Amino acid sequence: MSLDGDARRQVSDLLLRRPILFFGGKGGVGKTTLAATVALRSATSGRRTLLVSTDPAHSVGDALDVRLGNAAREVLPNLWAVEIDPAEEADRYIAGVKDRIATVTPPRLAAEVDRQIDIARVTPGAEEAALFDRFTRLMDDAGAVYDRVVFDTAPLGHTLRLLALPEQMQLWIRGLIGRRRKVNVLQRMWRNVAGAAAGDAHADGDPMLAVLEERQARFARARETVVDRARTAFIFVVVPERLPILETERAAGTLGRHGIPIGAVLVNRVRPREADGAGAARRSKEERDHLEDIERRFRAYPLVPVPLLPRDIQGVDDLRELGRRLFEPTGA
Amino acid sequence: MHRYWLWLRRRARAAREIYEGLYVAPYRSQIYRAYRQEQDLFLLSAFSDLLGAPNPAAFYTLELYPELIAQFHEWHVRMGMPQAPDGGFRCC
Repeated sequence: MSLDGDARRQVSDLLLRRPILFFGGKGGVGKTTLAATVALRSATSGRRTLLVSTDPAHSVGDALDVRLGNAAREVLPNLWAVEIDPAEEADRYIAGVKDRIATVTPPRLAAEVDRQIDIARVTPGAEEAALFDRFTRLMDDAGAVYDRVVFDTAPLGHTLRLLALPEQMQLWIRGLIGRRRKVNVLQRMWRNVAGAAAGDAHADGDPMLAVLEERQARFARARETVVDRARTAFIFVVVPERLPILETERAAGTLGRHGIPIGAVLVNRVRPREADGAGAARRSKEERDHLEDIERRFRAYPLVPVPLLPRDIQGVDDLRELGRRLFEPTGA
Repeated sequence: MHRYWLWLRRRARAAREIYEGLYVAPYRSQIYRAYRQEQDLFLLSAFSDLLGAPNPAAFYTLELYPELIAQFHEWHVRMGMPQAPDGGFRCC
């Protein structure tokens, strides 16, 4: 498995220039390391790059050897990183909701409205929804606040849900908006026939409708972004082992059905054909079979072999070294 | 001129009242009922989870609570319960 010059240039271009990249794969295949390697390389080449971890079990900070939190922080020139904290996001979201409704809540009901919203905060879906909310805002930042945003995602099931969410939410909210418009039409009719008895109209349109339409617009934008081939690519990371290969193939099928473009498949930890004397053992028969299997199953996508380093990858220097091996191969 | 104008306005108002009495009044309650019904349907779809039907967007419709609770209050008053029944919203 090797890329000719043209294909390699194409992949490098994709990895280093596409405004939004998602790195995904089965747990433990090296998503975080490769996402950090690519983000670091892109930052070094002068592009303002944000590396985002959406995995609740964060490890981006470990890979870069820095402490990260829910707010983006500049860890190196041109490189920012953030580990999204779903609990903190949910609290922030709830505070925002309370702020927005403060002016439309009748004072008599304020305490109860507050109480109900606090109950919603602890429902099972709240943190996932808040994570998704932050995720859509970070996608909006790509090409605006940052040149590029690289997402290190959670293991596949979770990520597929996150990416498919805009489509499903959009449908749901669209239904609600349709209903709401009908309410408003009937309310106008009622006001026309009942006059003053119908009570006051909203001074500036229907605030509830405005909230729903804002959500709908955000979901629509997120959906457009994740399927936009010119802006977004999903990068699979796989290793030459049976289970990651199978799971990745299924995930590629699911992404395809949702219209999310797959940019490349990085095949991590590929041993050299022959022992290189520097500590890396030579490729086993089993590994060769798996590599052939990968070539067969993923032939629709550019395949990029990533050589196994003879030691653990830890910290920025190792990531730079891996980047050199990934982008300036000397014949694998 | 002015008196003639006032007379005309009185006549016009009387004509409108007759028209409304004959044609609009019978529909008024129908329109009101349709409006109520649609409002209830909207809240039902926005808060279906309160009735046990899953609502994937529940977390994205929290801004609708003030309206939901106000309507709930109106409802229990209309149903002849001056105080909110136990177990639900504590609007009063």
